[in-house]
Amino acid sequence: MIPATMLTNALLVGAVLFCLGLVGILTRRNLIVMFLSAELMLQGVSVTLVAWSRYHGDWGGQVLVVFVLTVAACEAAVALVFVLQAFASTGRLDASAWQALREENLPRVIDHELPADDRVVPTWPHLSPAGVVPEGDDSRSLERDHV
Amino acid sequence: MDPVSTATASPSGLLLAGSVAAIAASLWLLLPKASDTVASRRLGFLLGAVALVGFAATGRSLGSVGEDAVFLTVAGIAVISGLATIVTRSPVYSAIWFAMTLAGVSGVLLVLGAQFLGVATIVVYAGAILVMFLFVLMLAQPSGMAPYDRVSNEPMLAAAAGAVLLGLLTLSIGRLSAAEPPACCRMPSRAQALAAAAAPADGAAAKDDESTTLIAPAMAGGDTGDANEVAHLGAELFGRHLFAVEVAGVLLLVALVGAIAVVSRGEATETDHRREGR
Repeated sequence: MIPATMLTNALLVGAVLFCLGLVGILTRRNLIVMFLSAELMLQGVSVTLVAWSRYHGDWGGQVLVVFVLTVAACEAAVALVFVLQAFASTGRLDASAWQALREENLPRVIDHELPADDRVVPTWPHLSPAGVVPEGDDSRSLERDHV
Repeated sequence: MDPVSTATASPSGLLLAGSVAAIAASLWLLLPKASDTVASRRLGFLLGAVALVGFAATGRSLGSVGEDAVFLTVAGIAVISGLATIVTRSPVYSAIWFAMTLAGVSGVLLVLGAQFLGVATIVVYAGAILVMFLFVLMLAQPSGMAPYDRVSNEPMLAAAAGAVLLGLLTLSIGRLSAAEPPACCRMPSRAQALAAAAAPADGAAAKDDESTTLIAPAMAGGDTGDANEVAHLGAELFGRHLFAVEVAGVLLLVALVGAIAVVSRGEATETDHRREGR
């Protein structure tokens, strides 16, 4: 059994994780990130269930979390297959690529201004040269008879 | 009861409102948008940190920071990594941050005393499900960030909705801790549970003799926090919930077969060609 303060803290953590997952699944457009957000919501619910289970000294919550894990595994397998099929037919992982399936009275999503790619060019570590490069004959290195 | 954290008192309510506003602004600043700058992202991180401190103060943990240091650490890891999961532009980094979230959640479960679930979260989620995500990412998006990863749908509305929902949940959690649970929802005490387990004649759960003997050790364990936690969870799982375990196994099998069936899409295999040619 855990004290009530611990229960409150764990419930808060679960609530924060759930809300973050909710925002993620509402906003992100990458299908895989959307599924990651759904898994984040599942994690929040799992924390909440375990907290209640420990607070009441009842095993039901933890047993339920075991089944949540099982269903999450099944869901991920089937959903990722569908994501791969969607990618194979459109070439994008974009949820908006499927907006032909929207309701008739809904406006079409148009990307007005896509931001520029602001990726930073990675700076690789500079390795100090370890000795002199040996002079070699390229033509001979291709036809070596032994190593 | 601590009057500061009841969240209905006005200073705490103001703190909660401020935290909610800070979370909404921080999420909106951090989510991928067309008008992003480095400065706005930094401001978002700053606001997120402020909101986190506000929430920690809203909860009851601030009074005993030293006592709950482990819990605060793992909970902070889980929450910050969860935030990074949904705001990172690159989906691969998003998946890696999610692995970090899983580590934090596993730590929270361990602190709560659910040892088996803490380990199972790492093994099943981080070890199997997340690797599957990463495989799909490598198959489908080998070139890194795509344009649609740098914009989001309605970031302002979604951030506001998420923050308001979080505020309401926090309010109800604070009210929950302030009030004694009503009689209808109070669980029976351990002594009552033991008595119920000892008298198998009453209750529908104790109909079957075999299930009663299987439940009995779990109920005798009573407290879910002792050293034999995993054994008791197993007894409960394979005792009272045995049928559900079977159903879960069937579900796994169906998901496996279904996934393969969708992938192969009924395409003719080599053996089919051979059979037709015969």
